[in-house]
Amino acid sequence: MITSLAIQVGVVAAIGALLAALIELADRFIANYGECRITINDEEERSLNVQGGGHLLGALAENKLFIPSACGGRGSCGLCKVKVLEGGGPLLPTEAPYLSATERKNNVRLSCQVKVRNNLRIEIPQELFAIKRYAGRAGKIIDQTHDMKQLDIELTEPETLDFKAGQYVQLTAPEYAKSDQPIYRAYSICSDPTDESTISLLIRRVPDGICTTWVFDYLKVGDQVELNGPHGEFCLQPTAREILFIAGGSGLAPIRSMLFQMRNEKIDRKATFYFGAQTSDDLCYLEQMAQFERDLPQFKFVPALSMPRDEDRWEGAQGLITDVLDAGEHEFAQAEAYLCGSPGMIDACIKVLLTHGMPQERIFYDKFA
Amino acid sequence: MGKPGAGTIMLNGLWRENPIFRQILGICSALAVTNLLVNTVTLCAGMVAVTALSSGTVSLLRNVTPRRVRMMVQVLIIASYVILVDLVLKAYLPEISKALGPYVGLIITNCIIMGRAEAFAGSNRVLPSMLDGLASGLGYSLVLVCVAVVRELLGFGTIWNVALMPEDFTRWTLMVMAPGAFFMLGIFIWIARGLFPSKAEATGS
Amino acid sequence: MEPGPIAIFFAAIFTSNILLVNFLGMCSFLSISRELKASVGLGLAVTFVLTTTSLIAYLLNQYVLVPLEMEHLRYIVFIVVIAAFVQLVEIVIERISPVLYVNLGIFLPLITVNCAILGSLLFLVIREYDLWQSLAFGAGSGLGWMLAIVALAGIRQRMKYSKVPAALEGPGIALIITGLMSLAFVGFSGMIPIQ
Repeated sequence: MITSLAIQVGVVAAIGALLAALIELADRFIANYGECRITINDEEERSLNVQGGGHLLGALAENKLFIPSACGGRGSCGLCKVKVLEGGGPLLPTEAPYLSATERKNNVRLSCQVKVRNNLRIEIPQELFAIKRYAGRAGKIIDQTHDMKQLDIELTEPETLDFKAGQYVQLTAPEYAKSDQPIYRAYSICSDPTDESTISLLIRRVPDGICTTWVFDYLKVGDQVELNGPHGEFCLQPTAREILFIAGGSGLAPIRSMLFQMRNEKIDRKATFYFGAQTSDDLCYLEQMAQFERDLPQFKFVPALSMPRDEDRWEGAQGLITDVLDAGEHEFAQAEAYLCGSPGMIDACIKVLLTHGMPQERIFYDKFA
Repeated sequence: MGKPGAGTIMLNGLWRENPIFRQILGICSALAVTNLLVNTVTLCAGMVAVTALSSGTVSLLRNVTPRRVRMMVQVLIIASYVILVDLVLKAYLPEISKALGPYVGLIITNCIIMGRAEAFAGSNRVLPSMLDGLASGLGYSLVLVCVAVVRELLGFGTIWNVALMPEDFTRWTLMVMAPGAFFMLGIFIWIARGLFPSKAEATGS
Repeated sequence: MEPGPIAIFFAAIFTSNILLVNFLGMCSFLSISRELKASVGLGLAVTFVLTTTSLIAYLLNQYVLVPLEMEHLRYIVFIVVIAAFVQLVEIVIERISPVLYVNLGIFLPLITVNCAILGSLLFLVIREYDLWQSLAFGAGSGLGWMLAIVALAGIRQRMKYSKVPAALEGPGIALIITGLMSLAFVGFSGMIPIQ
């Protein structure tokens, strides 16, 4: 009995070992692409030599060039676009859904899908070189709701970060028990843009998120953190139109930053902030919103609960954010809207805005992929 | 705050994030045995055991598993438990084990187990992970059992092999065959999503 | 009377299609069938992997597992072989032919956990096919699976222009269509009986 068991375990182990060895050999001899040169914007001093075999996004990140990406290279957000002029190979079915016909014609590719197997010639927008890497310390970590934390980062190197309200940074989750490589995730800045030495992020727990798990379960006050940024174009337009802010969950972050901006710059425009939540447990910054309402005479905060419980004693707006928005009294055709939150919510709200006659080009949004 | 409690984990697995309705995962092979309730319940019991145990084990080993071979290790853990379940069935329920044929082995490739191992067990402690596996497995079973009840009742006129329909009931042979399973599951998803639209679509959270 | 390899080949495609009759490989079937081009690629990849692994599975079973009385460890051995084989093929294809890699290689990682592969291998071992029967069954199953996914992808492309009830959109309607396709395939049953 024991011997037969030993033989069986041995055989399975032997088969496994043989296959593992084969893969290792194949990796070493077949999948070895040697050193490849990536020429960027045809400028010699910007060119890189990298070890072939990986994806372009990772190869660039290793050389401190950060192409924005919200999903961290899983090919699900479609943000990490770069122009690959030579050596990128044909377009892959995995990236096709994210590229328009014009982009395809211009050799735009998703850098997380393009493999570095030979020399590449690529083109990167100049402003990406302005994006810097920052080191800082985790300051306060405050529970705002049962699944959202505000993380304050005190910048150390460089000591200040100049950003526009509405922009986001990419936080680096270092190697820890769950992941053997650092990954980047995008979070909107929710703090006052005039405070350049400390930035705050509002982070909502994603059940299996590598980065949020790190923030929620591992990060302690005083720990070193790294980020890069600022990224994004989701900012207040310099017009006098009425503003509709619409957010759900941690989508509140960039809007909060914009409200600070309005207060600082004394922008007195008619503005309404629709915030969608399920129960009163999902509401946060209520005090502060009340303060904004006092400081900005034409600003109104409208939290809406979709599933208020009896104990909430909720007297505010009820129902789905789309319905509350639908019932809102606004000159939609004359206003502009800023939306931030999950793709599902944003798409639904855009539909409502369009039916009320708001032109597409005045709807600005930041989707969380 | 932080860690979800036991109640939340169970509710998520059973309803809120029911693997079949919400994530359309793992409908694979198990549909094949849903024309008889006895077979379905047996397979589901095995499935729940495997999901809970492998989630627990993956979680136990999460800090010592190198990332490169993570998938491999998970598959091996799952396969080992499936073999155990298979042996138990062969020993105690030989008839049903024969009827299930290769479908017991196919628990291995069921995406739910892998999915939960990846999504939850890799980052949570042993007990919550086991609970999560248990809940996902039960949520999955819930749907399959519903499908099986309808299919067996209409297809054979019985439930748990007990005749329930009047003598002159015409059996819906279609229900016993493959198309019946596809239709039933499609209709179930339709009902579930129609009655309870996913909250994510609603509040944007 | 044992059906010969040719009969098994056609039976695996039509009368007992692994997807439409045995429900194997549903996961990737539902997600990938949104895109016709990707469906063809995945279908080809499945066919290729199934044909080759059915040969490997037959040999392993015949010359290793049965002599050593390790049939109950079949699952572990098969799944390891499939996973490793798929990874190897991916590495090789990427090297030898970029065209092939784009059209077939990138789908290979999706196959490792595709129950169609493991399921078919278990079927051919349980039914005790000989070498040629195994090969025919592997190839036929792969082609049958490809037929089903390409047909569904074709239908789903047209579905974009149809009004579907909101709750039925996506997987729900895809399952109903699959049911209808399965119904059509039931028409073939009885032509060639394999279990």
